[in-house]
Amino acid sequence: MATYAGVEINKVSLKELLLSKSMWIIYLFLAIALWGMVDVVLERYFLSAVNAHDAGLDPTNKKMIAAMKEAVFGAGGEVKREAPWSLYIVNYMYMIYVGSGIIFIVAVAELLGEERIKRASAGFLTLGLAMIIAGLFTILMDLNILHIHHMLLSPKFTSGMWLMLPLYMIYIPLIVFKIYLTLSHKEQWSKQITIFILIVSLLVEIVEFYVQAKLFNMNEARNLWTTYPFLTLYFMVSSFAASAGVMILYTYFTYRNTDRNKCHDMMSLIQKFALYTVILLGAYEATSYLFIDKKWAEIILFGDFKLYFYAYLGMAVGIPFILLYKDFLNSSYKILASVFIIIGTYLGKIIFVYGGNAYPMSDRFGVGFEKYGEYKPVREVIFFMPPLGEILVVIGSIGIILFIYKIVDSYFSVSKMQEH
Amino acid sequence: MNFAMTLDYQSCIDCKACEVACKEENGVQLGADKQRIWVSQSEKSIFGEPFVALHPSQCNHCLDAPCVDVCPTGSSYFALGGIVMTNKDTCILCKGCMEACPYDARFVDDTHVAVDKCNFCYDTRIVEGEMTTACQATCPTKVRLFGDIDDEESDIIQMLKKRKFYVLKEDEGTVPKLFYLLPEHDRNYAANSVDEGTTIYTWDTYKPIIAKARAKREAQWQPMQE
Repeated sequence: MATYAGVEINKVSLKELLLSKSMWIIYLFLAIALWGMVDVVLERYFLSAVNAHDAGLDPTNKKMIAAMKEAVFGAGGEVKREAPWSLYIVNYMYMIYVGSGIIFIVAVAELLGEERIKRASAGFLTLGLAMIIAGLFTILMDLNILHIHHMLLSPKFTSGMWLMLPLYMIYIPLIVFKIYLTLSHKEQWSKQITIFILIVSLLVEIVEFYVQAKLFNMNEARNLWTTYPFLTLYFMVSSFAASAGVMILYTYFTYRNTDRNKCHDMMSLIQKFALYTVILLGAYEATSYLFIDKKWAEIILFGDFKLYFYAYLGMAVGIPFILLYKDFLNSSYKILASVFIIIGTYLGKIIFVYGGNAYPMSDRFGVGFEKYGEYKPVREVIFFMPPLGEILVVIGSIGIILFIYKIVDSYFSVSKMQEH
Repeated sequence: MNFAMTLDYQSCIDCKACEVACKEENGVQLGADKQRIWVSQSEKSIFGEPFVALHPSQCNHCLDAPCVDVCPTGSSYFALGGIVMTNKDTCILCKGCMEACPYDARFVDDTHVAVDKCNFCYDTRIVEGEMTTACQATCPTKVRLFGDIDDEESDIIQMLKKRKFYVLKEDEGTVPKLFYLLPEHDRNYAANSVDEGTTIYTWDTYKPIIAKARAKREAQWQPMQE
C-alpha cells in the first residue's frame, strides 16, 4: 500500500484486477454496451439514406436502390418524429437523478453528523458518481457525437440544455473532491472545508434538479410535463426514493459479511428514509393528477398507460410501503422492497417521458388514412419500441457503474468503513 | 422584412405536388416520414356522410419560437426576415427542438444526422432574391401565398386584409406565421374544418400580436449561418 496526498492507494496488479471473478460479470455488461454502441453507430452513421438529388444523379446504383427500399419499407430511421425523446432520456434521467440523490442524501447525513452514513460515505459517493457517469454515457450515445464539440464552439448560454455542461463540469470534480476528503487522512484540513464543499454541492444539486425540470417544462405543447405541479420537487422525491433503494441494496451486498451489526444499523436508517420518501411519492402522485392536463391525466390514469401507471404505483409505493412499514429483522424484506422501488421508479420515468409524447403534436400521424389505413381505428397513443442498439446501451450502462466502482474500490478501498 | 405565408386550404386537392417540389428542390431525405411540408387530413361524418378537410402544413416560423430557445448550440436560429432556420453542421441531435415544437414540424435528416425542417426555401430561393417558395410555385390550385408582411403593398398583405384567417395552436403563444384562410363562401366547410374554440382573426387584430412578438425577438434575427 502506498500513500499519496494523504490517500492510501492499494497496490493491485492489473492482471489481478482485470481477471478477477467479479470482473467477468462487468465484462458481460460492457460487452452488451459495446454491442449497443456498434449497433447505434452503424444505424446512425452508415444507414442507407438518400435524397431526391442522389436519386436523380445515379438511380441504378446498388446503394441507392437499398436506400430507396429503406425509405419506402424501412423503419423510418433511428429517431421517430412523434417520439423524439425515448429510452435514452429515461435512462439518463434515472441514472443522473438517482446518482445525484445518493450524493445529496450522503451530504445531508454528513451535515447532520449521522455517523452510520458517514462511515460508508466514500462508497456511497463513488456509487453515485458512477451512476452519473453511466447517465452521461447514455446521453452521449443519444447525441450526434461528431457534432458534440459545437457545445463548446457555438454555445448558447441561455439554453437550459447547454447549462447542463458547466453544471456537470463543476459537479463531477466536486464529488471527486468530496471522495478525496473522505478518504484522506488530513482530518483537520478536511473538516475546515468539508462543510463548505457539502453546502456548495447541495446547492449545485438543487440547481441540477431545477434545470432538468426546466428542460421538460419548456416544452409548452407537452402538457404532461408543463402541468406537473412542482416538477423539481417531483424529480427530487422520486429520485430520493430510488436512491434509498439503491443504498439499501449496496449496504447489504457490501457489508453483510464484513460487519453485520453496522450493516443492520445502516439498513434500518436508510429503511426509514426510504419509507418517508415512498409515502411522500405516493402523496405526490395522489394529488398531482388533480392538476395535470385532463387529456394527459385521462390517458395515464384510465387510458393506454393505466396498466403501467398502476404497476408503477404498486411497485414504487404500495409494496415497498408494506414491506418497509414494519422494521422486520429479516433483511430480505428490505432487499425486496428496494428491488421493487428501483424497478417501480424506473417505470415511473418511462411513463413520464413516453407519456409526454403520448399525443402527436399535429394530427398528421394521429388520424387519417395516410398513416393507419382508411378503415383501421384511430390510435392516439404513440409508443415505439426503442431500437435494439438503444436497449443494449441502456442495459450496458449498468456495466459502466460496476466497472467504475470496481476500479475505484480496488485502488482506494472506498467500500471500507471509515471511522471518524 | 418579415416573411409569412397564407394557406387557402379549401383549395387543396391533396395532389402532393408541393411535397414533391419541396423534396426535390431542397434535397430533403427520401421517406414518408421525412417531410418538411405535408397535408393533414381531418375526417368527420356529418349525418352519415363522410367529410374530409385537408390542411396543408409545415413549420409555422413562429415569431416567438420555442425551438430556438431550447437549442444548446444555436443551431436553431432566426434568420433575417424572421425565418426559423436550422444549421445542420452545428446540430448535436439533442432533439429538444423536436419536443418543443408544437407543430411536429421537425424531423431527423439521417443523411446529415441532424434535425431538418422547412425554411421557406431561404437558402435556395430567398437569398437569391426570389419571392416565392417551391411549394407555392408548384401548387396547381394556388393554396399557398408567400410574402413579406412588412410590405403593405405585397400580395400577402392584400390577401390578409381581404380574408379572415386563423393560426394553429394559438394558445401556445408562439405567434405562428402560417395563416389559414377561412373558407369564404362555404360556411359548411368552414364550420366543419375549424374547431369551435379557434379564434378567427382579421389582419387588424393580428397585426399588434405580430408587432409585440417581433419587438421581443427581432434582436435575435441574424444573417444565414453558412
